[in-house]
Amino acid sequence: MRKVLFCLFGFTIVAHGIAIGQQAGSTTAKRAGGSHPDLSGVWTYAIDRAPASLKTEVNGSVSVKAIDQSARHGDATSIRGVLQSTPKPSYKPAYQAKVKELSDHESKLDPVFYCGKPGVPRIGPPRKIVQLPTETIFFYEDISGDPYRIIPTDGRKHRDRANPSHYGDSVGKWEGDVFVVDARNFVEDTWIGEDGYLHSPEMRVIERLWKDGSNLVWQATVEDPVVLTAPWMMPPRLIKPSSEPLEESPKCVETDGAKLLNDDHHGQR
Amino acid sequence: MLRQKMLRAMVATVLLTASASAWAHHSPSAIFDMGKRISVTGTLVKVDWINPHIVIAMDAKGDDGKIDHWMFESNPPSWYRSVGLARADFAKAIGQTITVEGVRAKDGTFYGYMQKIKLPDGTSHELVNSAELK
Repeated sequence: MRKVLFCLFGFTIVAHGIAIGQQAGSTTAKRAGGSHPDLSGVWTYAIDRAPASLKTEVNGSVSVKAIDQSARHGDATSIRGVLQSTPKPSYKPAYQAKVKELSDHESKLDPVFYCGKPGVPRIGPPRKIVQLPTETIFFYEDISGDPYRIIPTDGRKHRDRANPSHYGDSVGKWEGDVFVVDARNFVEDTWIGEDGYLHSPEMRVIERLWKDGSNLVWQATVEDPVVLTAPWMMPPRLIKPSSEPLEESPKCVETDGAKLLNDDHHGQR
Repeated sequence: MLRQKMLRAMVATVLLTASASAWAHHSPSAIFDMGKRISVTGTLVKVDWINPHIVIAMDAKGDDGKIDHWMFESNPPSWYRSVGLARADFAKAIGQTITVEGVRAKDGTFYGYMQKIKLPDGTSHELVNSAELK
């Protein structure tokens, strides 16, 4: 049954990849080396941030500045080429209680809340992409540090002896105009989502990136046949170009944990 | 001089932020008394531009005449950067008198979440709920 599910999934991916390749970015994206769309650039912050604006008053003059949350909370499901997604992964019965336990105590157990590395795919789309002839580099800004990923695109395979890591061992290839990144060999101590979404060391993450006009589209699939009933197709993100340059993230010093008086989930009031 | 009073008996919108994936670091009510908004006036001592929250330290005289050492956390550096504020915008007031409004930790310590700061030149910066502006 598992084989059938994954074969079906694989076929779906290939079919959609072809469809996207035929559709996406053909008219708007400049091309690196003439053969593929150029994804290089600085992209809007896609991490989740407070839905707050800043109200400033100077000499009686009031101004309000909001942050752009579209890369995280915009609805990108209607963008051409996206694959049908679900908001949550589907866990096998043997893991559901553990996921619930982690979620119920999220504020005390989520490594990310305590300056831990989010890993892939939780970190989301990159803030900056540098696309070169034989490799593409993703840069991120994150409170845990500012990770980068060097993704070979010269046809090489995954490294046999790579050590497990938070961001995995990645290789990239083009399927039409879609850049496909295959990452594996992850450490086990990251979550793939904030609601206790655990994974096994067998996890594999497929990220797809393509241009939609001047914007970037990112969508990831999590395959983990150990804990999931089926691959989790994550909701897509539509990311605008950004003029805000990357900046070194200040050190992370978490002090709130010791002050928590209850286990309230962050969504609770 | 400490000027601490309840400004509003309402559930304040505390905007806790932190991680790569979740803007809410934890439930605000797990730490802060959301029903009381306080105002503290004192001397700005330090500005730590750190994740997951910036932290400012200030000394303010309490009702008993003693100096209370307050700490207020607020939104993360990346959020402040996106709205155009840098550490220097606060740090220029070190050694001077400022007023901070926010909510206080339930444990009674001199710790709070800063929602508004008024600088010596009269400029004020306030975190407001984006949804309420629409």
